[in-house]
Amino acid sequence: MMAVTAEKPLIRSRRDTSPASRGTVMALLGLSAFYFLFPLWWLLVSATKPFGEQFSGTGLWFDGWGLFDNIARLSSQDGGIFWRWMLNSVLYCGVGALLGTAFSALTGYALAKYDFPGRGALFGVVLAAVLVPKVLFTLPLYLMFSEVHLIDNPLAVLLPSVVSPFGVYLSRVFAAQSVPDEVLEAGRLDGAGEFRIFGTIGVRMMLPALVTIFLFQFVEIWNNYLLPVMVLGDDRLQPVTVGLAGWNASHVAVPPPLVVVGSLVSVVPLLIAFLALQRFWRAGMTAGAVK
Amino acid sequence: MTQGAAPAVARHHHRAGGAPPPEPSRPTAAKARPRRWKPLLFCAPFIVLFAATYVAPISYAAGSSLFTLHRSGLGLTAPSEVFDPLGNYDRAIHDGGFTASLGRIALFGVVQVPLMLVLALVLALLIDSRSTRGRSFFRLSSFLPYAIPGVSAALVWSFMYSSQSSPINRLLEPLGVAIPFFDHDVVLWSVANVVTWSWAGYNMIIIYAALQAIPAELLEAARMDGASAFRIAWSIKIPAVRGALVLTAVFSLIGSAQLFNEPAVLQPVSDGSVSSSFTPIMSAQSALAAGNYHYAAAQSVLLAVLVGAVSFVFFRLTNRGEQG
Amino acid sequence: MKRFAVLCAGVLGALGLAFTTAGCSGSDSDSASSSGKASITFWGWAPGYADAVKAFNKSHPDVKVTYQAVQPGAKGGYQKMLNAVKAGNAPCLAQVGYETLPSFAAQGALEDVAEYASPSKGEFQDAAWKSVTLGDNVYGAPVDTGPMALFYNKKVFASLGLKPPATWAEYKTAARKIHASDPDRYISSPYMDYDYAGLAWQAGADWFGVKGDAWQVSMASAANQKVADYWQGLADEGLISGAPMYDQAWYTGLGNDDIATVVGAVWQAGVIKGGAKKSAGEWAVAPLPQWSKSGTRVGNAGGSATAVLKGCDDPKAAWEFAHWLSTDRDTFGALVGKAALFPAAKGLLNLEQFTAGDPYFGGQKIYEVFAAAAPKVDSAWTWGPLMTKTAADLDDGLGKAWGGKGTIADALRRAQDKTLSEMKTQGLRVAE
Repeated sequence: MMAVTAEKPLIRSRRDTSPASRGTVMALLGLSAFYFLFPLWWLLVSATKPFGEQFSGTGLWFDGWGLFDNIARLSSQDGGIFWRWMLNSVLYCGVGALLGTAFSALTGYALAKYDFPGRGALFGVVLAAVLVPKVLFTLPLYLMFSEVHLIDNPLAVLLPSVVSPFGVYLSRVFAAQSVPDEVLEAGRLDGAGEFRIFGTIGVRMMLPALVTIFLFQFVEIWNNYLLPVMVLGDDRLQPVTVGLAGWNASHVAVPPPLVVVGSLVSVVPLLIAFLALQRFWRAGMTAGAVK
Repeated sequence: MTQGAAPAVARHHHRAGGAPPPEPSRPTAAKARPRRWKPLLFCAPFIVLFAATYVAPISYAAGSSLFTLHRSGLGLTAPSEVFDPLGNYDRAIHDGGFTASLGRIALFGVVQVPLMLVLALVLALLIDSRSTRGRSFFRLSSFLPYAIPGVSAALVWSFMYSSQSSPINRLLEPLGVAIPFFDHDVVLWSVANVVTWSWAGYNMIIIYAALQAIPAELLEAARMDGASAFRIAWSIKIPAVRGALVLTAVFSLIGSAQLFNEPAVLQPVSDGSVSSSFTPIMSAQSALAAGNYHYAAAQSVLLAVLVGAVSFVFFRLTNRGEQG
Repeated sequence: MKRFAVLCAGVLGALGLAFTTAGCSGSDSDSASSSGKASITFWGWAPGYADAVKAFNKSHPDVKVTYQAVQPGAKGGYQKMLNAVKAGNAPCLAQVGYETLPSFAAQGALEDVAEYASPSKGEFQDAAWKSVTLGDNVYGAPVDTGPMALFYNKKVFASLGLKPPATWAEYKTAARKIHASDPDRYISSPYMDYDYAGLAWQAGADWFGVKGDAWQVSMASAANQKVADYWQGLADEGLISGAPMYDQAWYTGLGNDDIATVVGAVWQAGVIKGGAKKSAGEWAVAPLPQWSKSGTRVGNAGGSATAVLKGCDDPKAAWEFAHWLSTDRDTFGALVGKAALFPAAKGLLNLEQFTAGDPYFGGQKIYEVFAAAAPKVDSAWTWGPLMTKTAADLDDGLGKAWGGKGTIADALRRAQDKTLSEMKTQGLRVAE
């Protein structure tokens, strides 16, 4: 019933693929993997080099080992503020993505499953909003948050990042495809309220899709730069992207190698989130593909 | 740059994303519909926040774009704002830097988006192909760049491109080749490469998911008929992921129009080939830095309207194709 | 059901609360509290400011200063300050570069503190004091200045039998020799925006001037043409490295002897030390090369003020801190060590830090060179009112020119045209 197809099992044997075609396919894929991994490899290799050697040599192969020393230096710079930044980022992204997913799910579900006044208009406005460049929002948001005294308050970063028109769009698509009306009807006949039906049936059926939305939101908030720079004054409230950019712009008051090491470390939580939730997001992606 | 696309949306979502409000498909639970206001409760948290953090700033920006800054004398005091509804728009369409940036991203959209999507499609087909081993590895390796924040990705690539120490050119050195990444005619494609690197895998995953949804019997039947792998890809698989392609294309186009992070990071090391008005958003951003929010707003509104129109036309065209 | 209803109610409640508090806004973040203790917020980015603020708070029980680090000005700091002024909750004090002060004034972002500051005029160097004043208004306290000199790699120069050039003609000769000795070796990296401005400043090639109540823009003047042609000549001969300043490639070049000089301000000593640790002991400082054998003029690059921003409730306390930061011996001594700042206050020119030899520069007492240069900085230089835009337009052209497309003179001319047109669009008066 859950409209999620797992990856097709490999029961189709390889007996009828020729070695030549297999070779070509693997060569092409190998080339692409090289392309995608090359810059990451450079980042990884650079971060493991002894402190100060980050920009010497070709950066293509390991040259001495200083990863732990580098991380120790990273941790002691400016009183260990790097980890504070990391924690901030994880908190902003975690909370923001969680709330954002919840709100998107509620809205997308309602758009897909109910008729109500202004439904078409709401959906249209939400989609059109994607067209407006977000760079433009910073100043008005800043002025608004000053009015309500939210400057220097994490809420000023959280509130805007909770809103995801794209997430609403996705959940509407997913809800339409993976939550059958009959199930909702059955729930109603049992006397369950609409919110209860959503909470018990809807969420469960949309779960893989919701994980996908969560991840997209997480990455988007992690990437957020302009807004936190403007609305947060206290250095200890900044997310890691802003902190690293500040170090990078400091004209070597903070040694550049630390920026390289910090960049690598700052990517790790995202990678962990992707790997850990891989099973879900793949299923979620596929869910959308099934009619 | 934010660029997004819906994961694998099947073929029938062609109307989403365009400028005029698309009509959502017929409500399905019409029979035992709850009271009409109740669904609004579902949407309430989103609507309130959306109004506050999207509608309000957009209105503010649109409103600001109707005012121009005026000073007098030496102008060393705060400027006055004059209502001049067309002033900034008139200025923008005569601003050589801004119009050139529009042309540049149009070219970017026309070249980079199809290339990236072809790459994504080919990758998806290859990974889906029966000749492939290590699917998980290839799928993940192409998707990883998406997890790297745009600014970090651009920073890493700026080092890859560095005219002094490019590791790529070092690899190519034995061949006697050096790629002039920051040459005037090349730099746009150097930026395109960073964007492609970041987003190709993401789009690939979406297309791949759509491929997974093709019924296995259909493919088996074609194979029994003696169709080659290439033929099957061309005649069955690609038509089946058409909807996903259209959607990724539109979101990629919107992303291209808002190109900012990558060129902005490359600007200081680009020998001047990335100017301060390289893309429309950079142009607006430099107006902003110069204290002219009104003009920045006008440029952004123009961009949004243009992209909206292009998306709308694109949807119309692809719809007609599908119906015909 | 309950869960979701509660969630909805919570969110709506929170928002409702947020919107009702909007009604009673208007109080500023900086205000003298009822206890009589003044409270001041200060935004800046120079290394060492945080410690300076701590020291101030310890020694001044009547004023409490809160320091908040922001991104360096051009990287977002200035934008943030202007937004805050617009929203009416700006900090009392902010670090603002001299080149940007007139632009801030033109946005109405500064508060006049002449009432408290004017008596201190005599304590500061003329050029620095002029940078924080416009007409009769005083907008803050000058902290540091950027008298220029020539940083050169003594080892490279010695190995080629070269002495530090006294004139720009000798500099060119040295440039040829250095490049001839090794095709990867160059005399310098390209100079952009305010670093380039320092070169023009030395030659008396003003960019802006005020005549009556009208602006004059002279970036394409004959004097500017001379400076532009000189550097264009070096670039055309291929004597200038392609590594952009402050980029990693530049630090690498400084460290491995590929870039042999930096024409720069005193604070660049800190940048070179931090970025090119490898070449410790090799570098030295010489007076700025001159346009003529008997010349003594020096340019200035950078330097910043502690500016008082619009809306400050307690400009008196703000000035008290700003003045203290610029003139306190112990504090400034620490800033010299951390950021290689050179004081704008005359009374600090004899700091003991200035008499110490610097091991990085082979034990040379580099501040003697800058102290000798400081009085020779032409105090007539004026910055324009739209400097951010002017600098961005100039860099568009300069980047190309150094890269071999177009010329520096063209870049200046185009920046001048664009600046003039922008000034006219906004209604500023321009003298033809």
